[in-house]
Amino acid sequence: MGGYLDIANSLGMWIMAIPVVLITGVQAIIFVKKSLDACKTKVVNLSKEQCKTAFRVGAVSAIGPALSVFIVMIALIAVIGGPMSWLRLSIIGAAPTELTAAQMGAEAMKVDFGGSDYDLTAFSSSVWVMTLNGCGWLLFCGLFTDKLGKLQDKVAGGDSKLMGVIASAAVLGTAGYLLSRHLLAGGPSFRAGIVSAIAMLVLEKVAHNKPKLKEYNLGIAMVIGMISAVVI
Amino acid sequence: MIGVILVEKGNYSFDDVFTKDIVKYGRLTLLGAIPLCFLPAIYLWLVHDAVPSMQVILTGWFLIASIYGVEYVVTPISYFPILGISGTYMAFLSGNIANIRVPCAIVSQDVVGTEPGSNEAEVVATLGMAGSVITNLIVTTVAALGGVWLYNLFPPIVVQALDYVLPSIFGALFALHAVRNPKFGVFGLGIALIFNGFFSGLPTIALVPICVFGTMIFGAFDYKKGKKAIETK
Repeated sequence: MGGYLDIANSLGMWIMAIPVVLITGVQAIIFVKKSLDACKTKVVNLSKEQCKTAFRVGAVSAIGPALSVFIVMIALIAVIGGPMSWLRLSIIGAAPTELTAAQMGAEAMKVDFGGSDYDLTAFSSSVWVMTLNGCGWLLFCGLFTDKLGKLQDKVAGGDSKLMGVIASAAVLGTAGYLLSRHLLAGGPSFRAGIVSAIAMLVLEKVAHNKPKLKEYNLGIAMVIGMISAVVI
Repeated sequence: MIGVILVEKGNYSFDDVFTKDIVKYGRLTLLGAIPLCFLPAIYLWLVHDAVPSMQVILTGWFLIASIYGVEYVVTPISYFPILGISGTYMAFLSGNIANIRVPCAIVSQDVVGTEPGSNEAEVVATLGMAGSVITNLIVTTVAALGGVWLYNLFPPIVVQALDYVLPSIFGALFALHAVRNPKFGVFGLGIALIFNGFFSGLPTIALVPICVFGTMIFGAFDYKKGKKAIETK
C-alpha cells in the first residue's frame, strides 16, 4: 500500500478524530443522566435497580456484535488507517457503508480504491465522501427527530410499506453493484464473493433461532470468503 | 429546593423531565457532530495540502448520495417506531443500528419487562442503548490502537487474505439481504452484471444510479403489482 498510510496514521489525524469519538460518549452520559432524573422524579415507574439492569444488559449484549465490528475494523484500518476507522466506526455509518463511501471517493478520482495509484489525495477524497455521507443522517435526525412522531402518524395513513420496499430494493441494488465488479474481476475476488455469500446463507439458516450467534455471521462469512480467496 | 417541592407534589410530567431535555441535547450533539466530522478532511487539506478538486468532491458526493440519499430519510423513519425520540438521537449519532442498537434496546426492555410503547420502555431502551454505546467505544478504541499493531504482526498470508475483504463483505452483505428479497436480489445483481460487464465504458456516475434506481423502481412496481393482485381478489 502507498505512503499515504503514514499520514493516515499520523498523530495529527488521531487528534482530529478525538472530538467526534468523544461526543458519542458524552451524549450517552447525558441521556443516562436524564433517564435517571426521570426515575428519581417518578415520572416513570422504574427502580434504580431496574435502571442499572437496563444499562448493564445493553452493555453486555453489545459485546458480541461489537467484536464483529472489531474484525471488520481491522480490515478497514489496512486501507484508511487507524484514526479514520476509529472515527467512522464510532459514529453513524456501519463498516460496509464506510467502505462504499471510501470506494466512491476513489472512483470520483478515477483510481482503484486501495490500488497502487491510490495516493494521499485519493485518500483525502475518500475522507470527504465518508464525511459528507455520514452527515446526511446527522443533519436529517438533528433537525427532524422531534417531528418524526407527528410524521409517523401521517405516513401510516399513506403507504409506509412501500417506503420499506423501496429501501430494501436500494440496498440490494447497491450490494449487487458493488459485488458485481468483484465477481467480474474473476479469480480469487470471484471466489471470495461467492464463498462468503454462500457462507452467509448457511450461517443465517444455522443461526435462525440463535440471535447471539447471528451477531457473528458477517464476520465469520467474511473470514471464510477471505480464506477461500488465498487457500484454494 | 423548588425542584424537591415540585417532586413531592408530583407536578412533573414525562415531557418536562425527559423528552424536552432529550430533544435539546439530542439536537445539540447531532448538529454539533457535523462540523467535528470535517476536522480530518480539513486537517489533510490545510496541513498536508491533500485535497481533491471541488469537482471530484461533488462527484463523490453525488455517487454516494445516489446510493444512500434515500436512506438518510427512510431509515430514521422506519426505525422510529422501535427507537422513539431518544433512541433515534442515540442510534443515528453512534450508528450500528440494526446490528447493535436495536437488539440491545429490545433485550433491555425484555429483561426489565416494560410495556411496549410506554414511557418506561423508552427510558429502559435509552439506558440499554447507552450501555451498548459505551461497549462500542471501548471495542473500537482497542481495535484502533491495537489493530494497527496487530496488523503489523500478521503473517503474510493473513495480509494477503485482507486484500479480499471487499468482495467478502459485499458477497455476505448481498446474500443477507437477497435472502429476504430474492426477487430484488436477482434483479439488482443481474442489472449490475449486465451494465458492468457489457457497458463498463459508462462512467460510474451513470452506472451507480442505473443499478440502484433501476432496482428501486423494480421494487416499487413489484410491490404495486402485488397490492393490485390482492385488491382484485
